[in-house]
Amino acid sequence: MLTLPPFTYHAPATVSEAVALLAEHRGDVKLLAGGTDLLPNMKHRLFTPAHLVGLRSVRGLAEIAEKDGAVRLGPMVSIARLARDPLVEQRLPSLQAAAQAIAGPQLRQMGTLGGNLCLDTRCVFYNQTAFWRLALGYCLKKDGTVCHVVKAGKRCVAAASNDTAPALLTLGARIRVAGPLGTRDVALADFYFADGVRNLGLQEDEVLTGIEVPSPEAGQRSGFQKLRVREAVDYPSLSVAVSSALDAGGNARWVRVAVSALGARPHLVGSLESLTGSKLTSAAVAEIGRIAHRQCHPLTNINIDPAWRRDLIPVLVKRAFETCRLARAS
Amino acid sequence: MPAGRPPKTVLTLKVNGDSVELAVEPRTTLLEALRYTLRLTGSKQGCDKGDCGACTVLIDGTPTLACLTLAVECQGRAVTTIEGLARGPHVHPVQDAFDLCGALQCGFCQPGMMLSAAALLEANARPTRLQIREALSGNLCRCTGYKQIFDAVEVASGQREVAERDPRPTTGGES
Amino acid sequence: MKGHAVVGRRLRKLDGLKKATGEAKYADDLELPRMLHCKLLRSPHAHARIRRIDFTRCRAHPGVVEVLEGAELPARYGVIPWTPDEQALAADKARFVGDEVAAVAALDELAAEEALALIDVEWEVLPALVEPEQALAAGSPQIHEGKKHGNVSKHVGLSFGDVDAGFAASASVAEEDFFYAGSTHAAIEPHCALAQYDAEGNLTLWSSTQIPHYVHRELSRVLGLPETRVRVIQPFLGGAFGGKSDPFALEFVVAKLAMKTGRPVKCLLTREEVFFAHRGRHPMKMRFKVGLAKDGRIEAVDSKILIDGGAYSSFGLVTAYYSGQLLTGPYTFGSYRFDSTRVFTNKPPCGPKRGHGSVQPRFAFEVALDMAAEKLGLDPIEVRRRNFVGENVLTVNGQTITSNGFLQCLDAVEAASRWKERKGKLPYGRGLGVAGSMYISGTAYPLYPNELPQSGIQVKLDRSGKVTIFSGGSDIGQGLNSLPAYLIAEEIGCDPRDCHVVVSDTDLTPVDLGAYSSRGTYMIGAACLEAGQRLWAMLSEAVGAKWGCPGAAVEGALGTIRGPADGQQMSFREAVQLAEAKFGTLGATGSYRTQKLGGDYRGGTIGASPAYSFTAHVVEVRVDVETGVWKVERVWAAHDCGKALNPTLVEGQIEGSVYMGFGEAAMEEMTYLPSGLHAGPSLLDYRIPTSLDTPDIEATIVEPIDPGGPHGAKEAGEGPLHPVIPAIANALYDAVGVRLTALPFHPAKVLAALRAKAKHDGLAESAERGAC
Repeated sequence: MLTLPPFTYHAPATVSEAVALLAEHRGDVKLLAGGTDLLPNMKHRLFTPAHLVGLRSVRGLAEIAEKDGAVRLGPMVSIARLARDPLVEQRLPSLQAAAQAIAGPQLRQMGTLGGNLCLDTRCVFYNQTAFWRLALGYCLKKDGTVCHVVKAGKRCVAAASNDTAPALLTLGARIRVAGPLGTRDVALADFYFADGVRNLGLQEDEVLTGIEVPSPEAGQRSGFQKLRVREAVDYPSLSVAVSSALDAGGNARWVRVAVSALGARPHLVGSLESLTGSKLTSAAVAEIGRIAHRQCHPLTNINIDPAWRRDLIPVLVKRAFETCRLARAS
Repeated sequence: MPAGRPPKTVLTLKVNGDSVELAVEPRTTLLEALRYTLRLTGSKQGCDKGDCGACTVLIDGTPTLACLTLAVECQGRAVTTIEGLARGPHVHPVQDAFDLCGALQCGFCQPGMMLSAAALLEANARPTRLQIREALSGNLCRCTGYKQIFDAVEVASGQREVAERDPRPTTGGES
Repeated sequence: MKGHAVVGRRLRKLDGLKKATGEAKYADDLELPRMLHCKLLRSPHAHARIRRIDFTRCRAHPGVVEVLEGAELPARYGVIPWTPDEQALAADKARFVGDEVAAVAALDELAAEEALALIDVEWEVLPALVEPEQALAAGSPQIHEGKKHGNVSKHVGLSFGDVDAGFAASASVAEEDFFYAGSTHAAIEPHCALAQYDAEGNLTLWSSTQIPHYVHRELSRVLGLPETRVRVIQPFLGGAFGGKSDPFALEFVVAKLAMKTGRPVKCLLTREEVFFAHRGRHPMKMRFKVGLAKDGRIEAVDSKILIDGGAYSSFGLVTAYYSGQLLTGPYTFGSYRFDSTRVFTNKPPCGPKRGHGSVQPRFAFEVALDMAAEKLGLDPIEVRRRNFVGENVLTVNGQTITSNGFLQCLDAVEAASRWKERKGKLPYGRGLGVAGSMYISGTAYPLYPNELPQSGIQVKLDRSGKVTIFSGGSDIGQGLNSLPAYLIAEEIGCDPRDCHVVVSDTDLTPVDLGAYSSRGTYMIGAACLEAGQRLWAMLSEAVGAKWGCPGAAVEGALGTIRGPADGQQMSFREAVQLAEAKFGTLGATGSYRTQKLGGDYRGGTIGASPAYSFTAHVVEVRVDVETGVWKVERVWAAHDCGKALNPTLVEGQIEGSVYMGFGEAAMEEMTYLPSGLHAGPSLLDYRIPTSLDTPDIEATIVEPIDPGGPHGAKEAGEGPLHPVIPAIANALYDAVGVRLTALPFHPAKVLAALRAKAKHDGLAESAERGAC
């Protein structure tokens, strides 16, 4: 079977110990949460760190609670728990829908929210064995100089394939990061970059320690749609999250739409301000679909017809609005 | 193991109810430790990397992919493999139902499948057909088309009767 | 005829609980002391000459014990003796990305893997011929130098009756191009082989093979060992579907490395390597023409098929024939012509996947038949019924059909699907489709010509009442470890649970040719009946002598032997002891011998089978017209397998076949980059349906008693795969009015077809309006 390369394993008990280990082995270390992304990648020799820092024994990273106007989610909360947690169901329905659509039952038990948010970008020319990549001649993201998706491309376009990211983006989430100099907060929207080699604003000696989602406003609703070939296991071919808050008269106070599984950065659709104050009629939703369609350009980084994926953006936007659920009082 | 690798660590875990101590390299997966160190070969390897579910075991009762679990991270945890699903001389109702319903064709994916099914029934004694489909959706089977598997889970949960209940040889007529 | 005590019952498999408890040992579950781990170095080029291999750096790795290169195993082999074009490790050139070129035996898998990277190969890269058209183009280099016909692996052209006159007489002709994408078996167990060479010069190979006998022969030949010194054991096998029915490089390599090192050597393929080993469904580009008379009778069928064979022959010679020869039922063809060309390309070799060679043309034909029938306004089930070929007839190409339950199959699926009430009346987006098929129950002839039995059975009766059966049959999940117990128990009156079946070990069990061409039930079954009847003759005679009645008056069932008088009975064990006292140590053998069958022309024996199975499917689909995503609501599958020896196992074969065909229709495809590199050799990128994707399947068994099969039984493992694919295509047409002719029917293709149709209909509508 495919082997893991040799490494030394560390099991810190606190975040500061973890940060210290990351700093100590800087350049040759990776953080291990659920392992469902990192370990296959290591079996593929995409990473061969001499040290792994396991987060399993670190206390206090698996809370789900609402306080001080925010729903707080620990990064070690499993995807399976997100998928069934009653608070998440009531307050963040689109996040729950996204969690339910991730992979299969075992991987949801093992995978974590933090791990999903930090999922390495994916590409058909990258997520392959060492032999395969040798036969290909390597690629821009790993060991090579050529992009096989965008010929003559200078920037890696491997796809953000995490389903929780688009949902949390439309919910206005912020994340907390701990490093050698203390902790810092950053809006999730500013956490991702359009560079497939490194699409996260996370330093090598930093640990994601918390996700904070503003408590939903009155009339806030959210929805999520995922396109995949099979009804289980598969990464997204396309995912769409929507969120909005309606006033008492049914007019939108704001509308947010995120589309992912396109390029390296989950795309928060812009130019939706014009919808503020109007009703989300089917015509309005169709217009949102058209705006999203104009802004999104799927690529052959995923082996599913990009033209079809693009065609389906307005359909998924429409269905995400149709299946929106109202955030209920906690 | 050839010289020059990071040293092995000794860990203790509970496997099928027995407390066992074993030395593993940090890079050893739980699947490798079970199959090649403890010789519990009932857990299978089909895809190398979490795509097929054949390596599913229960860790503290939860279906988990042993091929993506480091053995060192199982220190102190309870692991159930297919060899430990039966308690004593009696097979688990899921194992019996899989046999009765013809769900064991080549049988290779089924240890993982039966552990997923047993965990489902532990949490939900009378699952619907859709709940069965969902609970098993991380375990690929290439032989059966899944129907006899779904039927078997319904038989094991007392929701379906088989057309003929061939008795098990070991029970001398009782099943 | 007395009733059955065992046959036809839903008994457990003899090895079911072993599998249920994890006790069953598969190849990779075996381990021997001092065992080494082998890894294979593979070509990163689709087509390249090997100039030099240097192991210097590799041998210096602390974990490496031995290495191997192609020159050490020069003999060429192939499962078909006429086309031996494979070498365990390529010595001259590599012919696809993944072709094996060298091997390492090391202390553990990681060491072997690291050592592979230290083998230096100097390559001369040649042009890669990835598509069959490229390979056929004038001036293309030859993939196998010295072959007579360029890159043509096999060409077959046969004609029966006056095809052109048939088309001239047709009232409706459909002509269409079809494409069947390549797919692979994806058995969940990866290939694995373990070899041991002992001090007495005996080589033992445990391998995940479905053809131990052919592996035995080829291993002996390639290694230069007498066949008496080679033993091949097939442990429990984790699925095969035709993917383990060639001799594979790893088998020769571990054997040779075991001989070189004197230590046991194991090789387990990674999932990626299983995709390179392949031997899966051939991609076929097919032009089909079907002509119907006014009443729907099939006047003429004509096909031209381009078969993409990949880099080696494998079963390709047979594939080329099967692509034409197996189409001539369940319908009568007035005339028939086919022209099939299998071409070498620089891709992993194709071979026999469940429904070998005939699934692809069946898809094309059954869709073309619907197209032609539609023009005549004929109901799809009705046109199939009208063309029923019948029982005890010769097909247009000279194959002998014995029993034939196709009409009952059609009736069953028509009734179960409520076809008459619902066909044509479902709302837009929902539809029903039908298709039929026929398949062989074994090929009449072995792969190498000989006069020997194709299947053999030996039985030993112990005075304890225990029955030990020795069977060479390969259980690949279908139940061949249990079949001999059911059939012997039926014959001799023992309880099948008192049988121990010793299987698939060339030292211990009589030759059986292997699990291919759906031959097991028919041929091993026949051998069982012969052995059982010989034993029963002794048992009944001995018991009759004791009771003073003729042997013919004695009956036995499930461990109890009964005489003609009231209350006259004894246990099976007592009967055995009487017979042993009378005749001495008890044992018997049985065989299945080749029957003379097939058409009297070159190739007329290929596709000849002692019996054929028949199948009809109705499929209901639902199409999401906004996305092109479609779902199969239900499949009604009726299969004529003759007598179902164990209905539970037959249903499992039907359902598994339907599932596998559904996967090919919906999502499965072997895709390659222009360089010849497989685009996604993993179970994540090559998607097989999950438990949430598989359709609801309703299997019906149709049981016309076949005159030749054991208790009337025929095959069930491959036939039921065929109709589901064209039935889905026909149902999609019924649902949304688009004909899908290229597999798989990915939603993107469906949506594109829907848009093209809308555009076309819009144009037609505006043209109509313009005309008004």
